[in-house]
Amino acid sequence: MTLIHESIQHDRGAKMIARDVSVYYGSKKAIDDVSIDISPDYVTAFIGPSGCGKSTFLRCFNRMNDTIPAAKVTGQIELEGEDIHGNAMDVVQLRARVGMVFQKPNPFPKSIYDNIAYGPKIHGLGEKKADLDVIVERSLTRAGLWEEVKDRLDDSGTALSGGQQQRLCIARAIAVDPEVILMDEPASALDPIATAKIEELIDELSGRYAIVIVTHSMQQAARVSQRTAFFHLGKMVEYGPTSDIFTNPIEERTKDYITGRYG
Amino acid sequence: MPDHTVKAFDEDITRLRGLIAEMGGLAEVAIQEALDAMIRGDEALGDKVVARDRRIDALEAEVDRLAVRIIALRAPMADDLREVIAALKIAGVVERIGDYSKNIAKRVGMIEGRDRFEPLTLLPAMGELAGEMVHDVLTAHAARDPALAREVIATDAKVDAFYNSIFRNLVSHMVENPATISSAAQLLFVARNLERIGDHATNVAEMVHFAATGNYPPEEDR
Repeated sequence: MTLIHESIQHDRGAKMIARDVSVYYGSKKAIDDVSIDISPDYVTAFIGPSGCGKSTFLRCFNRMNDTIPAAKVTGQIELEGEDIHGNAMDVVQLRARVGMVFQKPNPFPKSIYDNIAYGPKIHGLGEKKADLDVIVERSLTRAGLWEEVKDRLDDSGTALSGGQQQRLCIARAIAVDPEVILMDEPASALDPIATAKIEELIDELSGRYAIVIVTHSMQQAARVSQRTAFFHLGKMVEYGPTSDIFTNPIEERTKDYITGRYG
Repeated sequence: MPDHTVKAFDEDITRLRGLIAEMGGLAEVAIQEALDAMIRGDEALGDKVVARDRRIDALEAEVDRLAVRIIALRAPMADDLREVIAALKIAGVVERIGDYSKNIAKRVGMIEGRDRFEPLTLLPAMGELAGEMVHDVLTAHAARDPALAREVIATDAKVDAFYNSIFRNLVSHMVENPATISSAAQLLFVARNLERIGDHATNVAEMVHFAATGNYPPEEDR
């Protein structure tokens, strides 16, 4: 079972909780009975070897697995006490409240402005152009991109550099005022400088949003997160403060993985 | 413990541990020979101890370089990280232990009337105990053995007891015969150096415990 460090058991009320969650792809069990509390105050990192199920588990939090026909999710996941699989939960609303940023930047083939304004428009957050202008500027500013693009908001989002595109995607996620941001390898396709900008951005956004990040880079998990969960073969092995996981992990499997002795 | 996927990482760590073992071996010999020289008044042996301390200093510099390289190139985590940090600190402490032996060796020619001093019969036993602490703590380091490290810490009290007894003894020599004050003061420094070696071996033991377990030994041990 999961070893949960005692020091995080008193974390303030969870933003999201998962209880006994399993995910099957057909007959294959990709996630095996995982329970976790996601803190609103910290960045939580999911780490583990390829195929351990960390991305699959991340995708449970805004029901992205619904889009995969063979995937079946069991167990309970709540956002602020609300069952995200319940009848009262509108999945489009859920994905606005729990935003997502992917490994490869995927801006819409539209202008920078429209990339940001699209979400607020369909969610009815900005009726008038003036409202949308405010949202676009605020989102781009929070994503650290405003200064770089303010004079070319009509240019295509796809014309930006990879790092800028990724920050555009983060700005787009922020624009609909989410409560949680899920990030799946957000910097793995970027160079070190662009990576550092994303990490700095994650740091600035933390506290305002609950952030969960899946990363292959242990250094990145160590740099950006305050809570780390280690996954192995579909199970969550250990969950604790990042500083403890990286200096003094308790489980042997965690230690072997983070010290580069895995397998 | 399974090997690292990157084998060069294992080689670096093994080399780091080898350097610490080599430093410790030299420091151990230095304690014995410095005391031997002191007891027998063998100034040539004393000079040899002083000269050989340079080798310990050079090894410390090598540990520093290798540790910095490992941190920069391998980004060690968890017990690997503690291992490297502990090696850095242990190397510094063992270098100090070498300095104390050198300091004892430098005083060989400053003692007059050796046969008059009873402490000269106590000092070898004290030196043996301090040397044993250094030996054991390096064994604990090589074996990553926190239990042995705690035993070393416990031994320090005995070294302190030796020091107190030698101190009283030398003071009474000085009181009874002021002509011995100069030599007695030198011997007091020798005892003091051995006592400090015990303290430093204790520090190493704490680092060994930390590297092996992630925690310092319990307060009551110290």
